[in-house]
Amino acid sequence: MAFVLRTVTTSAEGREIVRTRRVEGDRLTIGRGPACDIHLTDLAVALRHAEVARSGERLAVTVENGLTVALDGRQVGAGSLALATGGDLRIGSHLLRFLPVAAGSDEVAVGVERVTEGEAKLDRDAERLFSLASVLPGKRPLAWLLALLVIGLCIAWPVKTFYDRQQRAERFARFQADELWSAGHLSAAHASLRHDCNACHVKPFESVRDAACASCHRDIHGHADPFRLARAQPDLSAWGRFQLRLKQAFDLPPGRCIDCHTEHQGPQQMAPTPQRFCADCHGDLAARLPDTRLGNAGDFARIHPDFRPAVVTGWQGERPILTRVSGPAAREANGLKFPHALHLSRSGGAAQMARRLGIGASLDCADCHRPEPNGARYQPVVMERDCAQCHSLAFARTGGVVRTLRHGDPAQVIAEVGDYYRFRTAPRPPSLAPAGRRQPGAAPAVATRIRFDAGARAPGPEAAVRAVFSPGGACYDCHQVDAPPAGSLAYRIHPVAFPERYIRHGWFDHRPHAAQSCGSCHQAARSNAASDLLIPGIATCRGCHGGERTAKPVASPCAMCHSYHARPGAPAMVVRQRLRGEQRPVPAAAVREGG
Amino acid sequence: MATRQIPRTTLGEGASHEGFLRHKRFRWAKLALLLCAAAVAGYALIDAPPRHYGGTAFGYVLGTVATLLILWLTLLGLRKRAMTPGRWSLKGWTSAHVWLGLSLTVLATLHSGLRFGPDVHTLAWGLMMAVILSGLYGIAVYAALPPALGDSRAEMTRPQMVDALAKLDVQLEAAAQPLALADAAVVRKALAEDPFAAGLLRRLSGSDARSATRRAIVALAPAGDAALLAVLERKVAALGQIRRHLRIRALLEVWLYVHVPLTFALLAALAAHILSVFFYW
Repeated sequence: MAFVLRTVTTSAEGREIVRTRRVEGDRLTIGRGPACDIHLTDLAVALRHAEVARSGERLAVTVENGLTVALDGRQVGAGSLALATGGDLRIGSHLLRFLPVAAGSDEVAVGVERVTEGEAKLDRDAERLFSLASVLPGKRPLAWLLALLVIGLCIAWPVKTFYDRQQRAERFARFQADELWSAGHLSAAHASLRHDCNACHVKPFESVRDAACASCHRDIHGHADPFRLARAQPDLSAWGRFQLRLKQAFDLPPGRCIDCHTEHQGPQQMAPTPQRFCADCHGDLAARLPDTRLGNAGDFARIHPDFRPAVVTGWQGERPILTRVSGPAAREANGLKFPHALHLSRSGGAAQMARRLGIGASLDCADCHRPEPNGARYQPVVMERDCAQCHSLAFARTGGVVRTLRHGDPAQVIAEVGDYYRFRTAPRPPSLAPAGRRQPGAAPAVATRIRFDAGARAPGPEAAVRAVFSPGGACYDCHQVDAPPAGSLAYRIHPVAFPERYIRHGWFDHRPHAAQSCGSCHQAARSNAASDLLIPGIATCRGCHGGERTAKPVASPCAMCHSYHARPGAPAMVVRQRLRGEQRPVPAAAVREGG
Repeated sequence: MATRQIPRTTLGEGASHEGFLRHKRFRWAKLALLLCAAAVAGYALIDAPPRHYGGTAFGYVLGTVATLLILWLTLLGLRKRAMTPGRWSLKGWTSAHVWLGLSLTVLATLHSGLRFGPDVHTLAWGLMMAVILSGLYGIAVYAALPPALGDSRAEMTRPQMVDALAKLDVQLEAAAQPLALADAAVVRKALAEDPFAAGLLRRLSGSDARSATRRAIVALAPAGDAALLAVLERKVAALGQIRRHLRIRALLEVWLYVHVPLTFALLAALAAHILSVFFYW
């Protein structure tokens, strides 16, 4: 009985060296100890690790207490294998291969071999070991990975979102991939569109067009005829021409909404329109647009034409002729007679009547002029409400009933007065003695008699009608009367008309001026005729208002009174300020100093 | 080694080395500075209501210049593979790469109008800044570290260092043969200690806190096998030398693992930036 050991080692050059040794006996000891039959130099092996002993047709494997070996791949503390089939015994890094034993043979052949996985490090390229390349993924795969990640996330995904959105009609309430492309927050007013890029960016690779804006902003007016607008542009600098050429090259038509209304500038509100925005063109508009009827306008304090209110300057039959006028010589042909000075006087008859009627010490503007509900302007004066408390149209009392002429209907007045005087018999005043006797010293009675006689001589209905429409008559006091042809009684009242707004292209709001007295702007107290134009000129405004940058109490950029997009009401900037609660009242003291 | 320790100032004029930064008396540095000054002046003087951003005419100009610069800077990767002398030498090219690359921090930042947000535009800007910063780091370590790299080799070549370690392992294994299994396990761990197995962070830190060889010394010192301990001490020294060398190599190389891959991420982000601007114009 013997074991034939066949030990295989590998030289540094990779050559196999085979040594054969014979161990007589039934037992084979295996371990790191030099006394063992099979001496394994592996530090993972105990000094005396295992023992293989022949028992009949099998080989019994016993392992030192607490250790294991791998017997045909199974980790065991003890086991056996059949001689006829052989088997593998692995201890540490060594493999002991027991070859099958032929029947009747007395020798067991054992291959001993070190399995040298993980031992190749000496052979590795030392230079590479020192480089980071040995522990990091290559730069090229990293570059590809990152680039593809960015392309997928920042190009493919948003583009897909765009085409997905074309297929669907509903609004988008949550994050969409193409928001990654947003160049900044939308303005506060457009914040609700932030998930819906295609609300403005309609076609890919086409810049935002005005049509996209107009789909919501339906009633915004342009500023002027586009051709005149183009001609009015200031001469372009070299840089300006370059910009224009750049825009042309990229198919960006000039004059689009977004040229001024720049978006993606942060969650801000629309900024106040700077004065320069207007002054660039209007500062010397007349030079480039010779046929313009607009005066040059830049800084309000320095360059601004005087106001040219639209006033009724004449009549074409019943139709008033509105003309824009300016200067102190301007007159208004509104058809009324009304001396403001007389009414506002503190000492005249009007003041006395005001005291008698309990209106006040004298008449005040507010007694006749009432503001409109929004306070910006004043309601038209209404005769029945504003004049009639003094200028009564009552002409007779029948029983307890006061008979009043109907205002605004001359034909009715003629009929009414005519009828009244046609059937009137004046009762003889009791103070008059019966006819005939005159007593000396009864002068009042004489005067009464004279008046009664004059009355009794009866002007007649025609004369009464004429009196109403003639100097001293109720209508004539205030109205221009068109006299009828001789023999006719068809008196007519000249129509009365005032423009709805005197200054139509500039905004004026009385409310912020409430701290001022009316007379500080309107020279009513010195006006003796209704034809006086009481609209103040620009000099009055300039007392307080300067340009955008001014030492005057009120800095006034163009947009305080004018809108770029013509609109009848308050300018857009003022409306926005009001909505945001930004309008601050100017302290009255500051205004007085400025004035 | 010998020439390395001679101070540069003692070299003659003809032998003095002009680095890529000083190339042609800072020709490219001056050009880059001029470019930045022009951009800043344009930003300050050109009026762009309501404010500067990438979409104004000046913004387009800055963006175009910056894009062309980035593409050209990327070409260094191709250019460096062909070393040529002369007017457009690789050194001149590298000098221009560094200085013009630095000028991008100004150009692209002005192009942004100093506005940043969670979008592709800021992503492109951020990647660009990361690439430039990593490049700055690269210049700094290339200026500072190569002498230390040479010193850390202690007159050995790199294969010699690996070889020395392997020989120590053989000696260690032989010296440990008499040990009991428990002690042998400690030595096996020391044998298995491979300084090259350290990942990026441990290479950068040069830390040997987990050194199995050091632990083996502590564990086996009471037994007092002087021969074995001597071998272990020598292995600790060899490992330390390799670790120092590895650390400097890692410090020298790591920026390229940021610089190059991020450059390509930047190119992708730049493509996304430009596409997005014109897609949603």
